[in-house]
Amino acid sequence: MEFGPSFYHEFAEAWGKQDGYRLAPTLSPELSTEQLRTIYQSQNAHNVKNALKHGLQGSVAGVDRIDQVELQAWVEVYAAYWKATGVILDAWETSDGDSKELPWSKVYEAWTDLLNFLLRGYQNAGFEAWTIPCLYVVCKHLRIFAIKADAERNSNSASSLDDGAAANFQDDFDPETNKNQKLEDCARVLGRVFNVCHMDRAPIEESRKWASYYIANLLLKTYFRLNSASLSKHILNSLRAGRADMPPFSAFPKSQQVTFEYHQGVLAFLEENYAEAEEHLTAAWNQCHKAATRNKELILTYLIPCHLITNHTLPTEKLLEPYPRLQKLFLPLCRCIKRGELHKFDLALQEGEDEFVKRRIYLTLERGRDIALRNLLRKVFIARGFEDAKEGEKPVRRTRVPVAEFAAAISLGSQEKIDNDEVECLLANMIYKGHMKGYISRQHGIVVLSKSGAFPGTGV
Amino acid sequence: MASSQTTSKKDDHKTATTENKPDQPQATAEQKPAALEEDDEFEDFPVDDWEAEDTEAANGGGGGEGTQHLWEESWDDDDTTDDFSTQLKEELKKVEASKKR
Repeated sequence: MEFGPSFYHEFAEAWGKQDGYRLAPTLSPELSTEQLRTIYQSQNAHNVKNALKHGLQGSVAGVDRIDQVELQAWVEVYAAYWKATGVILDAWETSDGDSKELPWSKVYEAWTDLLNFLLRGYQNAGFEAWTIPCLYVVCKHLRIFAIKADAERNSNSASSLDDGAAANFQDDFDPETNKNQKLEDCARVLGRVFNVCHMDRAPIEESRKWASYYIANLLLKTYFRLNSASLSKHILNSLRAGRADMPPFSAFPKSQQVTFEYHQGVLAFLEENYAEAEEHLTAAWNQCHKAATRNKELILTYLIPCHLITNHTLPTEKLLEPYPRLQKLFLPLCRCIKRGELHKFDLALQEGEDEFVKRRIYLTLERGRDIALRNLLRKVFIARGFEDAKEGEKPVRRTRVPVAEFAAAISLGSQEKIDNDEVECLLANMIYKGHMKGYISRQHGIVVLSKSGAFPGTGV
Repeated sequence: MASSQTTSKKDDHKTATTENKPDQPQATAEQKPAALEEDDEFEDFPVDDWEAEDTEAANGGGGGEGTQHLWEESWDDDDTTDDFSTQLKEELKKVEASKKR
């Protein structure tokens, strides 16, 4: 909104009600080029701070809580915002062709300036905690601009690698190290914001700690994109350490809770803490907004492999019904696991390898092979039927299974002959992992299975 | 988040440009962020907070008693009539037969 009466009115209204969510949109760059132009043309560089000062002062005349230092700090913030609108306008209006100028890099710089002024307001000018939604909107867009700037530079240097890049850098120039230059910078800036909020010592009602999860989520998202899960740990640890002085987690907006649980879950997942991952992902799933299909899909992408490991359950068709992408990803594997089709499982895993690796679930899904094998061995056991029943007694399954039968089952489908040592090794592993109860009698070439629960948890 | 933002921004700008300055070259400049959208970043929710009744849990997809139909056991029930089971049984018979000889 241009720096005119309606803007000042909005500022005063937000101020009077101490409504940060009303104030925040006045710092949003999500505007059409027309709107950006209106703002930018409503002032000039020479006059902008004066005009702002008069305008803001007039608007909050009735609000006695704002002092001169604080007012001046807001003037600086809005002046920086005004400057940024001009640069953003430029960026939108620059055509693809002459992108040597890297307009989005300039946007990123201008927006960083804005964030710094805002941050200074909190550190030095007594900005109150109710205004933190301003911090949200500015931080959120800093990240977006960083990503744009990196994309722009990368596509630019790709097309002119010969001249530009070679001239600017030494022989050992590696385009990869520079790929996320702005986003890495953004992560550092957001880290500072996180500290300014999380380390706030004010009483909880007026503490910037209320911004901790929002900023932490932005940071985690950024670290994920930069592929540095270890830095994420650092954020989780400081949140955990400060938990006693924080408002309860359930007091935060659900959007923040769900996003945070998701990231926590994925982090645990990547560390192979599947029980913990399942806990967080299930919490994210339960609290997730019912209409947020894409996010639900992302949660399930990790929750499904989790379930496979923790309690050996598979998604039902009903669960996957709304998600064609997940069906494609998981259904073939699930089918093979259920039927114990070991060879087809291997093929399905190979088939989806690229996609699984990309989503970082390959290694976890690979462990599903154990379950497929368990199911196959279970089928052999069941196919052998029962001992001749004695009068008046419950039928007992035949628990002595020749190793050769297991071997035949395992090599079924692949047509590859597998030797008995290898089969015994697989069986021993199954027993060791608790998927099967019994022992191998090498002398007789048989496996003696437990009469009660040969395949624990599966009803036989 | 980035993806939802860029999308809404794009729309904004498209309306702005087509309505007001159709011959400005902005449309091409706006194509750039598209490359970013294929990644799987957790999206921003359109609203900040919501009631318990709008959660997945409250709508049949959630925890507690409702989860039963979402997850199923990983083994086939013992109705062994599919191709693979039949094949397996035949294979096992062969093994048994060769033993007896």
